[in-house]
Amino acid sequence: MTAAQIIETCSVGIVAIGVLLVITRSISRSIWLLAAQSVLVGLAALGVGLAEGEDHLVVGGLLALGAKGVAVPVVLFVMLRTTPMRVERSPYLHPYWGLLVAVLIVFAAQAAVAGVHLPASVAGERALPAAIAEVLTGLLLVMTRRKAVSLLIGLFVFENGLAIVAFALTFGMPLVVELGILFDLLIALGVGWITTRRMIAVTGSASTDELRRLRG
Amino acid sequence: MTHTELLVAIALGVPVVGGLVAWMLRGRASDLVALAAGMVGLVAAGGLAVLALTGEPVTGWMDLVRIDALGGWTVLVVVVVGVIALAASVGFLDRTDATGRLHTRDRGLYWMLLLWFIAGFAGVPMTDNLGLVWVGIEATTLVGALLIGFKRDRDAIEAAWKSLILGSVGVGFALLGTLLAYASSVAVLGATSDALAWSRLLAIAPELDPGLMRLAFVFALVGYGTKAGLAPLHTWLPDAYSQAPGPVGAVLGGAKLAVAIYALARFHLIASGALGPAYSSGLLIAMGLLSLAVALPFVVAQGDVKRLLAYSSVEHAGIAALALGFGGRIALAGLALHLLAHGLVKASLFVSAGRLTDAAGSHRIGRLRGSLERVPPDARAFLAGSLQLSGLPPSALFISEVAIILGGVAAGWGWAAGIAALLLAVTVAGFLFHVVRVSTGSAARRPDRTPGPRRRLRAGVALVLPLLIVGVLGIWTPAPLDEAIADVAAVLAVAP
Repeated sequence: MTAAQIIETCSVGIVAIGVLLVITRSISRSIWLLAAQSVLVGLAALGVGLAEGEDHLVVGGLLALGAKGVAVPVVLFVMLRTTPMRVERSPYLHPYWGLLVAVLIVFAAQAAVAGVHLPASVAGERALPAAIAEVLTGLLLVMTRRKAVSLLIGLFVFENGLAIVAFALTFGMPLVVELGILFDLLIALGVGWITTRRMIAVTGSASTDELRRLRG
Repeated sequence: MTHTELLVAIALGVPVVGGLVAWMLRGRASDLVALAAGMVGLVAAGGLAVLALTGEPVTGWMDLVRIDALGGWTVLVVVVVGVIALAASVGFLDRTDATGRLHTRDRGLYWMLLLWFIAGFAGVPMTDNLGLVWVGIEATTLVGALLIGFKRDRDAIEAAWKSLILGSVGVGFALLGTLLAYASSVAVLGATSDALAWSRLLAIAPELDPGLMRLAFVFALVGYGTKAGLAPLHTWLPDAYSQAPGPVGAVLGGAKLAVAIYALARFHLIASGALGPAYSSGLLIAMGLLSLAVALPFVVAQGDVKRLLAYSSVEHAGIAALALGFGGRIALAGLALHLLAHGLVKASLFVSAGRLTDAAGSHRIGRLRGSLERVPPDARAFLAGSLQLSGLPPSALFISEVAIILGGVAAGWGWAAGIAALLLAVTVAGFLFHVVRVSTGSAARRPDRTPGPRRRLRAGVALVLPLLIVGVLGIWTPAPLDEAIADVAAVLAVAP
């Protein structure tokens, strides 16, 4: 299997999971989906690294599998256990409409990159649209969800999209940068956890509906 | 390890380790360790800034470290703002402790986060790697969210949450821009870490793919524009600035703008080399004018003193973006002076505003009336700083703003400079109206006690010294500083 085929195959799975994330209201199911998507991102890096003999990608892929595929979902599950609400009862966008928007995003991403001239190192035609679609899907989740854990899931989907952009365009970034990005991701998880705990302690809820006082 | 590498290790490593030690300690021991570690780190960073501003660029660690005049100047701004924040923090912690709202471990936690926050900002201009620039800026966003929510009340948590989510998503776009720039340079240089070095990208800019670089600059503008507080990407900023503790607001208001503009400038220079200056300059000027226009009504109709300062920061981010977009030695020298003077004044103002609001128990301008009578030292500093921030002479901000406007005219952007001058004049009038309301009137309470000598010293460093420096720079610029400003303008003017 060539690097381009690995990225394309993983990209299809990543996009499909992105659509499922938009229509899922159960937060625990969303965490499982995020874990599956992150594992695919890690496998893409690992597979490309092995296929191309790029050691930094193998290391980056293994670290991504551990951090994004395991650590992030575990912490999100722990967070979810401490929150009173475990379902997105009334997201700003109904899941049916969400499905429509998610599908539109996939087509829009395909159309958006159609005219872009890509450099010779590009892995596959499907990878960049898939990456853009995931960036936009992450944004959609961040904009339409109310619960803190759901918003963090959206943030990590957004980051998964960025990781695929990196593979699609350049077979990843230099290892020192990949490590830095992963480090920031783990800090984001910790900060999100601490802030959610404080939110629950003060408002009695993990819903951002309680945080609408600051204006003007 | 070379001398410069040792300085970098001290500048970044000592605050990080010192912060951890301070976190483990309690009470005054925590204060002492944090102040010592913070000052050692800032002195080392200041040394690097001086080296970079007086000689060749400072390099090290397989070219991962590179500080040219622009980087040195940005580090200098972070250093002076950092000193102000450290000096003001003991007073902030003591005041919060006196209200009974400080948990046992909070003192150490605050110090650890503050030292990491300042070290993060200082580290960004030290690296010759756009990927690490992003990593550093994102790290400050995350650590900053915890500092913004430090007070742990509902409003502080709302501000922290918004800062975390909006800041992370916004800055995420800058990573997308970085990836696109990397993709473009990999096609020329191959997949090496050199392909992310801004110095290399600048050298090969004419060979970079124009389509990718156009996209890269747009995403970098969105990402680092969010960090700088450029409209319409500023929505997290007023909440964050208004809820952050005073010394944290000082770092946000004073240092963050300089670092975000630094990152934007790197992309602007590379994009200009690849596409010609018109594309990125046009976008920067559009965002600058929009920021001035958006800030105006919020300044005029403002009822919260810290949000007033926050919207003033949106305005000043707009001025900085305009200067960068105008280009030309006059506007760019104005930009360099503006970043330093704004950093000093805004940091002092956030500290004095924090002390005023702590004393009054409210951020509302109506509740702060009569501050000159009630808390004379802090209110005098607030009034003097506000006059300087408004660009009234003698203030370095007067010189810098005039230079930027005139530089815009000289660079052929007369219409934009004219609109900017008009928007600035109205915004300043609205700003000063509120400042007069805060300062004058009769106080409901009697004056506070006169502070002791130690508190006076810390207040002097945090409040008075920055204003004195900005006042002097408004009349006279020492020759070495003048040369440094010219060097920074020369780096920024590399674009054809």
